[in-house]
Amino acid sequence: MKQKTFRFSHLFLGIVLAVMYLPIVLLVVYSFNESKISSVWGGFSFKWYQQLFRDKQMFEALWNSIILGVLSSVSAAILGTLGAFGMTKIKCRSNHVMEYLVTLPIMTPEIILAMVFLAFFSLLGLPFGMTTLVLGHTAFCVPYVFMLVKASLVGMDSSLAEAARDLGATEIQVFRDITLPLVAPAIASGMVLSFAMSFDDVIISLFVTGVNVNTLPIRVYTQIKTGVTPEINALCTLMLAATLVLVAVSAVIGRKKPNINEQQKENV
Amino acid sequence: MNKHPQKAKNRGYWLTLLPLYLFTIIFVGAPLLYMLVLSFLQRAETWGITGQFTFRNYAQIFQPVYLKTFADSLKLAFLSTGIIALIGYPFGYFMAKLSPKGKKWMMLALMVPFWTNSLIRLYGWIIIFRANGTLDQILMGLNITQSPLKLLYTYPAVVVGMVYALLQFMIFSVYSSAEKMDWKLVEAARDLGASPLKAFLTVTLKLTLPGLLSGVILTFIPSMGLFFIADILGGNKVVLVGSLIQDQLVKAHNTPFAAALSVVLMLMTTLMIALYKKIAGGKELEGLI
Amino acid sequence: MKKWISMGVAAALTAGALAGCGATPKNETKQEMNLFTWMGMFPDEVIQGFEKETGIKVNYSSFDTDETMLQKLSQAKGGEYDLIIADDYIIQTAIEQGLVAELDKTKLSNLENVNPIFQSQFYDPENVYTVPFGAGVQTIVYNPETIDFEITGYEDLWNPALKDNLAIIGNYRVINGMALKIMGESYNTENTATVEQAGKKLLELAPNIRLIKDENTQDDLISGEVGAAVMYTSQVTLAKLANPDLKVVFPKEGIGLGIMAQFIPSKAPNADAAHQFINYILKPEVAKQYFEHVGYYSTNTKADELISEEYKEFLTLPSDFSADKVEMIAPVSAEIEEAHVKAWTEFKNACGQ
Repeated sequence: MKQKTFRFSHLFLGIVLAVMYLPIVLLVVYSFNESKISSVWGGFSFKWYQQLFRDKQMFEALWNSIILGVLSSVSAAILGTLGAFGMTKIKCRSNHVMEYLVTLPIMTPEIILAMVFLAFFSLLGLPFGMTTLVLGHTAFCVPYVFMLVKASLVGMDSSLAEAARDLGATEIQVFRDITLPLVAPAIASGMVLSFAMSFDDVIISLFVTGVNVNTLPIRVYTQIKTGVTPEINALCTLMLAATLVLVAVSAVIGRKKPNINEQQKENV
Repeated sequence: MNKHPQKAKNRGYWLTLLPLYLFTIIFVGAPLLYMLVLSFLQRAETWGITGQFTFRNYAQIFQPVYLKTFADSLKLAFLSTGIIALIGYPFGYFMAKLSPKGKKWMMLALMVPFWTNSLIRLYGWIIIFRANGTLDQILMGLNITQSPLKLLYTYPAVVVGMVYALLQFMIFSVYSSAEKMDWKLVEAARDLGASPLKAFLTVTLKLTLPGLLSGVILTFIPSMGLFFIADILGGNKVVLVGSLIQDQLVKAHNTPFAAALSVVLMLMTTLMIALYKKIAGGKELEGLI
Repeated sequence: MKKWISMGVAAALTAGALAGCGATPKNETKQEMNLFTWMGMFPDEVIQGFEKETGIKVNYSSFDTDETMLQKLSQAKGGEYDLIIADDYIIQTAIEQGLVAELDKTKLSNLENVNPIFQSQFYDPENVYTVPFGAGVQTIVYNPETIDFEITGYEDLWNPALKDNLAIIGNYRVINGMALKIMGESYNTENTATVEQAGKKLLELAPNIRLIKDENTQDDLISGEVGAAVMYTSQVTLAKLANPDLKVVFPKEGIGLGIMAQFIPSKAPNADAAHQFINYILKPEVAKQYFEHVGYYSTNTKADELISEEYKEFLTLPSDFSADKVEMIAPVSAEIEEAHVKAWTEFKNACGQ
């Protein structure tokens, strides 16, 4: 009985993943497309890779996007986690308003946020560039971490924390050793989503970036006048390949140190 | 339990809240206020706004053509969110049941698609859906259909695009909720003679509801505004409030009307979520939004 | 889980390091010029050629729409950027807002190469502020293999034989303009009733519309997803290069003309470099390079002769092209604009049925 449900669940996970990866496989295949047209096969060619490697600006944009994504998701994780934690501890009328406000950035049309950020940052006299980008991106990343961590904290088994307190642990110790490991999956999910949103954002980035900082989506979406070429497919393929290599490397390293895996099992 | 005086403890919690409070008031409260003010102003002839107060922008929304746009957006958002929940909930639930190693790999597998540009991923769907594309070739190869389906630039294509773009949000929410669930409770219910279905409904579903709920919120709201999916896969023929706002801002230079549309859109989503919370939630969920 | 997070961060950082490029440090001694336009407007040779010849480094930053550009420029109060290339109508607004500097024509020795057809237009009647960059005309392109009747003008697009087989761009002034042109009206009519009437006419077109798209519309024509398309000039160029059998129609009812022009913002930090750049790309051999790259109509008479044969047909104006058939789409009053948007939204709603 148990074995059977397990197999069904694996089948389900497999099918959904396969469908999820289908467009990505096509993206990779079409990066070798001779034709400039992104949806018609015109023969095998490396020409987009050649073009990509001559395109220094593209790599600069990629680097900027990665830095931006990491900085924003980390800031969002700190703000969101601490905030969600504090809010479950303090019962206060302002919480409802605050929770609503925190989640508003994902309800607000991006372009409105973009306009306001532009006006607001120039009011503060901030130089447009990476700083303004990180501030803007953090604003729309916080809700993801906050909501996921909050959902994870609500109804969490509080007996562990209480036991720890009874044994003399300080609040900070309880947070670090009990609460944090329990909500870690939520924080991780929130950061992944944050990174993804930041990595893909174009509208807010366009408005708050300066003369010298291009991000990857800015480069892609502002090609509208002349047409988007498969060069970007080639870049995505390289990024996927790099990720896979890293995964493989970390898997090998992970196998060499089984004790870390054990520790993690306990943490999760 | 009472080793620390309640007050000092509370001060500590307030400190954890402070950064979020400050950040939110400055970067969310202020923009929102700005938008609200804008929505009551008069547009200038070619560019910008005049300081004049008016209700005209709101009155304009009640024209049938704009009301219909709101209704269409809602319909698509409900449909997409429903399908996403049907796929994403079991996915997140099954994922939480995997071994720690399996979880790690699954997490990674879910993250890798984000390493590609979303526009390019949508182009992947164009290749699948286009006449004589991947899907047509598979279906015709299997003799299920005889001629190309002409699926690209249709409503179903838009729905697929929406589900595809937002599914991860649901999966992550449900997963992080199911992950910390105490499976012993389910076993206990089963030991007490509950059928698998009953155990699921009374224990599992109840415990994972916060995750499902935040998943619904994380998918429903963006699906009202993700107009570029409707543009690319639907051939721009499905008008959503998001594209209307974009048109007003970018093409018609009518910022105040766009702001009014945004305010109404946000009120509507807020209302929807409050309603959903009331139906699905009950007391213990109070405070989630 | 902790390990997982750190692994993710490490993955991000390493992938970036693999890419091998950080932000280049600013060189204090070198002159710089901040260029602001759409991405992909110049082939690398043009930018590099300019940098080599003058020693001025070009910072290329990009925007997605004219409106984004104006927002950023007005926030910068006419500073920050040295040279901007954008569409005609937005330049008029920028000039009205005092964000544009007058050109110093003594520094533009190659200005005489500009084709006068593209000068003295509504946005800059005295040619004080701008130099044309490239021009586009709205044309119909169709595939004679799948469309079995001849298309000569906008009227033919209403033909029921084109059911679910037509692609159009998402610019409502252009599309509403097709109906206006059939009615014999101007693109820039100031009569609300006329616009509403055009909107009604447009509703009859809805069953023929397969898609409305601004980017890469040519792909659908080439792949056979649609049989006919109303497109921008650069897209027409790409379509014709991919399939020379496609037919390009200059509609008999009249043609809309759009011009992308270059201007220097009022408080440009390095206006001198911007002048040098304008003058550089006005050289016929440089102009040829960038026209063949962007695929817009050449605005440079001397470059016309240099453009290679395979591009000639769609980068230079046809010989029978007369100025009286051409009309530029100029800004209209707020009231008319609203009528246009409403007609457009109704039209799109009808297309989705």
